[in-house]
Amino acid sequence: MLYINQLFKNYGKFQAVGNLTLHIPRGDLFGFVGPNGAGKTTTIRMICGLMLPDRGSITINGVDALARRKEIKKQIGYVPDFFGVYDNLKVREYMDFYGSMYRMSARDIRQVSDDLLELVNLSDKKEAFVDTLSRGMKQRLCVARALIHNPALLILDEPNSGLDPRARVEMKELLLNLKSMGKTIVISSHILSELSEMCNSIGIMNRGSLVAAGRIEDVMEGVFGSNQLVITLDEGRETALRIASEHVKVKVDSAGEHEIRLSHNMTKPEIAGLVGEMIAGGVVVTGFHKQEGDLETLFMRVTGDGNQ
Amino acid sequence: MYLNPIVKKDVKTQARSMKICWGVFVYELILALVFFLAINIIQSTSRYSTSNIYSAMVWLYPVLAVTQLIILGLVVPVRTASSISGEKERQTFDIMMTTSMSPFSIIAGKVMTAVVQGMFFVVASMPVMALSFIIGGMSWAYLFWFLGIALLVSFFSASIGILCSSLCKKSISAVIMSYAFYLLFFLGTVLPTVLYEVVKSNLEYTLGTLPRFYEVYGDNFYLPLLLNPAVYLAEFFARIMVGESLVNHLVDHPSMSWQSQTSQVRGPIVLVTSGYWWLIFATLLFAGISFLFLWIASRRIDPIRGRRSKGSRR
Repeated sequence: MLYINQLFKNYGKFQAVGNLTLHIPRGDLFGFVGPNGAGKTTTIRMICGLMLPDRGSITINGVDALARRKEIKKQIGYVPDFFGVYDNLKVREYMDFYGSMYRMSARDIRQVSDDLLELVNLSDKKEAFVDTLSRGMKQRLCVARALIHNPALLILDEPNSGLDPRARVEMKELLLNLKSMGKTIVISSHILSELSEMCNSIGIMNRGSLVAAGRIEDVMEGVFGSNQLVITLDEGRETALRIASEHVKVKVDSAGEHEIRLSHNMTKPEIAGLVGEMIAGGVVVTGFHKQEGDLETLFMRVTGDGNQ
Repeated sequence: MYLNPIVKKDVKTQARSMKICWGVFVYELILALVFFLAINIIQSTSRYSTSNIYSAMVWLYPVLAVTQLIILGLVVPVRTASSISGEKERQTFDIMMTTSMSPFSIIAGKVMTAVVQGMFFVVASMPVMALSFIIGGMSWAYLFWFLGIALLVSFFSASIGILCSSLCKKSISAVIMSYAFYLLFFLGTVLPTVLYEVVKSNLEYTLGTLPRFYEVYGDNFYLPLLLNPAVYLAEFFARIMVGESLVNHLVDHPSMSWQSQTSQVRGPIVLVTSGYWWLIFATLLFAGISFLFLWIASRRIDPIRGRRSKGSRR
């Protein structure tokens, strides 16, 4: 769906984006994370045709986004991080305005905007003036506006910033709903806990570079794969310690009465083999698990060096 | 029929605003004041004249028309100067640029909105304007000529405003720059003519006669006045009110004609000062410059402009 290949963007001597290569498959809800100034918004603006890269290419649905802008505009729905609304314009008219900017017929606009307003739960606000809506409603309206021309790719830059918890939940539900409809969504956010609940893939940017990208599980595995392996046991502590210390890929971190913690760089079958060996050696293993990491820990770990 | 969505939206939102009501009120108030002032002057001058006072009422036409054109020239650039920079300040510009509308359509929409608003003021003033036709007995055709000129002035002023809006980040800077541009057209175009006249006088004084080049081509230095809005309006109203060309008097070749072989003056000035060509050329120039400003503005707001030349696909 979205291919970014060796993208570069400099602001004077400052490199905002450097050698960014990324692929987002169709139907993905992709979370774009990174500290402030990491280059997320610059990348998003380049995808949307609001900024010219110094080098590289962007392809959306097989179309060169930089060379065939007119075509690409129909494929993208963009919700910026900060946006204003027009005074004296009603919700219905707001949708009409943007629909007609895509040269849609009046009948199509009416039909599509009715559906979209229902989707974003603003059907009862059709005749309300846009500037009277709450921040959360405006944000949802902006999503509906971005979908008016049925784009293949929806890009949201910090959609949850400034929203209260209720509005955040509503926005999350809306995005999950859109994901279930098969839309490809790119969302940039700082609220990592929400991203981990919504997204099926992520890209972590730091200092203009993509430091990790892919399916959330894969990225987690890549980063936390060598995390501590915690084995709980009832009997055979000494045997377990001996087997573990004999293994070349394992280092014993700590050993309690009923729990031992091991650092390792083993694959999943190797872990299973190790535990199997312990059981065969008479150790009563009551459980074992890898120390799980969350997106926030992952984020801190992969961006940690750059921010120090 | 496809109507530019920006025009439709802007006209609708402006119509709902109280600003438009106050705008029309102030516009009409100024016109009414000028009207009463003009009536007063006509009455006081006619008291010592044997001519019919009603015939003097025809002078209401240029007075009211020029007043309106001045207001349009001052107000319309403000509207467009704050349009693009206003969208940026309101943070709606980026969204607009990601839609299917081309930068030129966006610019054209903003300009059309300002022109429509300007013409709305003009049409609203028709009852006041009509007095010069009813009382003074002027031909109604001149009313349409005035509408045409008002349209051109609005379009030209709007294009200056939109160009400045695309060049500036802040609305206030764009408005100031628009007036500076206007000043350039009013004063900058007079400068070559003034310099020419000064040099000509000096040469005549020191040499006693003008060099041949000056005699033959010197009057072409009046050509920049084609871009002077004041000269354009003066020529237009001189033609209508007294049936003579002001420019010909200015250039001092009243009988000059491009077919005339007797005059030794050569160059484009000969053609331009014959018949109605000054007005025709000036109209085309103002319209052309306006379109040029629109094109430049559309290039300015286009974020991907010059992609090929920058070689971004190295």
